[in-house]
Amino acid sequence: MSLLVVDHVTKRFRDITATNDVSFTVEPGKIFGLLGPNGAGKTTMIRMLTNIFVPDEGTITMFGESVGPAHQNRIGYLPEERGLYKKMKVGEQLIYFGQLKGLSRPQAVKQTMLWLEKLDAGDWFSKKVDELSKGMQQKVQFIATVMHEPDLIILDEPFTGFDPINAEILQRLVLELKAQNRTIILSSHRMEQVERLCDDICLINHGRAVLVGSVRNIKAQYGRDTVQLEFEGSDEFLNTLENVKIIERSGHFAELRLLNGASAQDVLKSAMEKSNIYRFEIVEPSLNEIFINVVSNNIDQSAEAAA
Amino acid sequence: MSNMTTSKSPSKIGVIMQHEFLKRIRSKGFIIGTLLGPLAMFAMIAIPAVIGYLSKDSSQEKISILDQTGKLAPLIVEKSPTKYFIARVSEDSLRAQVLSEELTGYAIIPADILKTGKATVFTRGGGGLSLFGQLENAIEDVVRNERLKEAGADLSVIKLVDEGVDLATQKVTETGVEKDFGAAYAIIGYVLGFLIYILMFIYGMMVMRGVMEEKTNRIVEVLASSAKPYDIMMGKILGIGAMGLVQMVIWAVLGTLVSMLAGTILLKLGIVGGETTAMGAQPGQQGVPEGFSMPSISPWLGVAFVFYFLAGYFIYATLFAAVGSAVDQEADAQHLQMPITLPIIIPILFIGNVIADPNGTLATVMSLIPFFTPILMIVRIAATSVPVWQIVLSVILPIITFFGLVWVAARIYRIGIMSYGKKPTFKELAKWVTS
Repeated sequence: MSLLVVDHVTKRFRDITATNDVSFTVEPGKIFGLLGPNGAGKTTMIRMLTNIFVPDEGTITMFGESVGPAHQNRIGYLPEERGLYKKMKVGEQLIYFGQLKGLSRPQAVKQTMLWLEKLDAGDWFSKKVDELSKGMQQKVQFIATVMHEPDLIILDEPFTGFDPINAEILQRLVLELKAQNRTIILSSHRMEQVERLCDDICLINHGRAVLVGSVRNIKAQYGRDTVQLEFEGSDEFLNTLENVKIIERSGHFAELRLLNGASAQDVLKSAMEKSNIYRFEIVEPSLNEIFINVVSNNIDQSAEAAA
Repeated sequence: MSNMTTSKSPSKIGVIMQHEFLKRIRSKGFIIGTLLGPLAMFAMIAIPAVIGYLSKDSSQEKISILDQTGKLAPLIVEKSPTKYFIARVSEDSLRAQVLSEELTGYAIIPADILKTGKATVFTRGGGGLSLFGQLENAIEDVVRNERLKEAGADLSVIKLVDEGVDLATQKVTETGVEKDFGAAYAIIGYVLGFLIYILMFIYGMMVMRGVMEEKTNRIVEVLASSAKPYDIMMGKILGIGAMGLVQMVIWAVLGTLVSMLAGTILLKLGIVGGETTAMGAQPGQQGVPEGFSMPSISPWLGVAFVFYFLAGYFIYATLFAAVGSAVDQEADAQHLQMPITLPIIIPILFIGNVIADPNGTLATVMSLIPFFTPILMIVRIAATSVPVWQIVLSVILPIITFFGLVWVAARIYRIGIMSYGKKPTFKELAKWVTS
């Protein structure tokens, strides 16, 4: 059974449609990437999962039930905009957040100590938040997210604000949580991290889910239609190729996308007729390229639709 | 599957309330405010008394009486020998003395004063109404007695006229009659009404700032992902309300101690006797013949005070919470606060009318409007005996109002805490409520 099923969910704010008919499923024990450019509707989607917003249309099913306040205790949520009480001591604050997530006070105290120790922060208990550095505050916020041992952990841009060393620690913690069979939804625009961590992704653009599936499948799918060419002489011949989209061209190098199911062999043949090709390779694009492609394609399409 | 959160845990609203209560009660601000509160209270009560005392007795006013009748001056001087003197020099030198500030002024009693009833006082200007009033009374008394004497009135008649009337106030109760402290009770009512006004403001603003702090620091998103907006809002209002109650209890204890202490000191200085009664009594009425005694305060007045304070606090705190949720910074809150602060201030403007006629139509109607009830009803209850049906209404109507406002405020809060950027207009707020 899927842990989370988002089914044709639409949310509007006055004249803006923040998410438009979005569907995806999240499997238990997986890391799910929710991707998209700024303003695409990721945070709105997350707020519907955490029951801060209610969808206008569609349904969200979590743990086999329609999502509601009762599920809030089983979710850990790290918002993109971090928020802590500046004048409050770290310990008190974490105990409060733990209690808010349904822990008893003794449990909350215990978990606070445990997690502070785990993150080498045992001596922060009596420090006020505004005495801590940004990175340290991030750690506190992360503890607040996971200390009640939620089944579903939602991390909105978790790596921003972390230096490389702490980002590494965070990544290790995320993988540790996954090993404990927790489900994690990760929203990020840092593709190399998503590529390394996520099992499945949903790419949202302009409120719509434009790409959904497992990272492996998506890369394999895009891997068959991206071609890199190196050649001698003029690049004039590139303009005569049919059924390709030129992604990049520079001197003696070009990256092409095959359109309309064109075969790579045909493109190679016609290229060889006009130029001296010394490298021809079908490559697997990085998630970053796929991301940029899909998003800019999307813009192209909407521009065409508008024209 | 986590087994931690499945255990029976306290309600979210309780957790939030407890947190708000403990956080605030441990803060430095609370300790300072609680300790300085009675001091401010003491100052509010004692300073006017001391000022009244000083302005009455320490005046260095000297007025020379230039008497052209040749017989009235000694009688006038007799009225206040430290203030009035018989002029033994010419008018020119009197004028010089006034200019050199040796004299406050001089009065000319014309020879035909008994016929015309006109006298003139010369000063450097100003001098205050009480100075002129007292002088006028003194001259008037003397002139009246002289006229009576000239008309052939008997000395005993003159004495009778002089005696005037002393109106004693008695209150009818079921156990007979007792001394009526109407004036003192009116003052108590005024003080209690004013206290509710100040506390509603202070605690209401505290709720608003708390809501805004959580919104601007983005804490509210973590809260909203853990509890229902209604619970977050009500938890905060209840927590701060509980803190307010504790603070009031401490103040009541401290206040009693301070006022006992202050009473002893003031009594020793001889300030209290005349002044406390003069505050409420007619000006010019001197002393209390029966001696100084305190009116008894019914414990019900205390209960009523706590109830009306809570009613007022809850009504306005919900509104303050809604405003706090709708804006990003305090400066933006100003324009939305207007419709809240106005109904808090209005009863203060009417408090004088209510004290003057606590059972009049104005007082009755105003005190039954739920937004005004907390301040005005406590004044009436202290100052008079309010009909039972009005008390019942003054309990029920604010409670109904509160529940209505909670519904409205929660709907604004729910959307407000997640809305950043622009200041909402009243029209938009109305849309939030109805959406």
